[in-house]
Amino acid sequence: MTTLTEAAAALRAGATTSRALTEAAIATADRLDARTGTYLTRFDEGALAAADRADGELASGRDRGPLHGIPFGVKDIIATADGPTTAQSLVLDRTWAEGRDAPVVARLKAAGAVITGKVTTMEFAVGMPDVEKPFPVPRNPWDLATWPGGSSSGTGSGVAAGMFLAGLGTDTAGSIRIPAAFCGITGLMPTFGRVPKSGCVPLGYSLDHIGPMARSAADCAAVLEVIAGPHASDPDCVDAPFAAPELGGDLSGLRVGVVHAGHFPEGSDPAALPAFDAATAQLAAMGATLLEVELPFLAEMVTADMLTLACEALAYHRTDVPTRWPDFFAATRAILAQGALVSGADYVQAQRMRRAAQLALGRLLTEVDVIACPTATIGAPALQGFLDGSASVMDVFGFIHTPYWDSVGNPVLALPMGETAAGLPLSLQLAGRPFEEAVVLRAGAALQSMTDHHLRVPPLVTEPAAAA
Amino acid sequence: MIETVRTLLAQNGIPATEAEIAALAAGYPALRASVDALYAPTEVRYLDPALRFRADAVGPATDWF
Repeated sequence: MTTLTEAAAALRAGATTSRALTEAAIATADRLDARTGTYLTRFDEGALAAADRADGELASGRDRGPLHGIPFGVKDIIATADGPTTAQSLVLDRTWAEGRDAPVVARLKAAGAVITGKVTTMEFAVGMPDVEKPFPVPRNPWDLATWPGGSSSGTGSGVAAGMFLAGLGTDTAGSIRIPAAFCGITGLMPTFGRVPKSGCVPLGYSLDHIGPMARSAADCAAVLEVIAGPHASDPDCVDAPFAAPELGGDLSGLRVGVVHAGHFPEGSDPAALPAFDAATAQLAAMGATLLEVELPFLAEMVTADMLTLACEALAYHRTDVPTRWPDFFAATRAILAQGALVSGADYVQAQRMRRAAQLALGRLLTEVDVIACPTATIGAPALQGFLDGSASVMDVFGFIHTPYWDSVGNPVLALPMGETAAGLPLSLQLAGRPFEEAVVLRAGAALQSMTDHHLRVPPLVTEPAAAA
Repeated sequence: MIETVRTLLAQNGIPATEAEIAALAAGYPALRASVDALYAPTEVRYLDPALRFRADAVGPATDWF
């Protein structure tokens, strides 16, 4: 299976075409989607037409850049003109955003990307699947009995299975990085305000990030370069130029803060700690200097993320709650209800605490340039308990170390760092200063130049067609 | 505890089932403890929140579509 960056090079070398890439993506979806629950809506016909346009432009000398002709999946809480946006919910007004592209999707199309369809999410980008609702249950291509992570489940499973080469996810408590981790791919949560989030159904207004999910750090850099930048429709989005960095293997001069404290609780997978230590040792072998650090206000930022998310989500859904309560997924209801159990003062206090953590983290980031910690210290958890109600997403959140970073807003790259004894992916986070995505991407790309965890492919993808 | 949770949900227009109320009530003490802990650090005592009102900011300059 190829990466976006490799496919872009092959297109320009005449070794493939956008139509061939898109037909291969469609064929993979035909073979696997019924089992992985990746797509909500497929745009096969429109994608092939866009691929032909991309090929025609390249043949005539018009090159829109590295996304030109690349098959691309879009999480179904982000508006696309090509088809409906459902947020995987019975509640969302279907006329909202009908026929319109979110700014990020418009930017992808202008860059020549081929949108192959809308992919599954947890309802409104939060919670867990609900088998009583008429939507696909996303499953992990590495093991169909496990959860692919969420909420950007379809983007994670689709990239891992080869149904598209890159996709858009969103992250409010980890929803880019968790499926990137469990599906064995690379995901980037950009700095809050780096990418316009208008045209995306809000979950937590002050926490939501749109970002790329793909196979490699280089792929994510190419996507971020297209989708980043201010837009008049999003007052949170700032004018901070980003250009994909030169990527190499030398990390001389880079100071990496390494976090063990609070990140390897009892019950973590036995392979998580050795994989993490091997990844940071590899960074050191490439010239980085390692310094053991602790994240300031770790527990408080996890609480602040959950509290803020619940309050902001409840405000958004409040008018639908009294009349549409049973139509929400069970896990969505549980999270919305949390917003009713805290006070306005609690909400403001969470925002004061976020400021305190930002200041403390800023001081830490004068001592180091990048902070490394695990994304999760377990492999993908079994799905059945979530479906029958015997397990809760909160049961696994003690092993998932993503919400801290949503609360503070710094950019974080999640990338594969190894696997469990069962062969399930494990993932590393590399976080940086606000608007220094280039630094974490450089570190991630350097690591990926020396390792091949990000290139592993689920056995499901390569199994003989007769077994499908 | 159940009555507290029931009242808070009702005040927010949430028609939760009895099973949902019971589950939320079971988790309510831990929720309150974690939220109350946000008031404890001395660093936050005189700090402004990470939100700002600006008289000259009336919202998005344009719609997104």
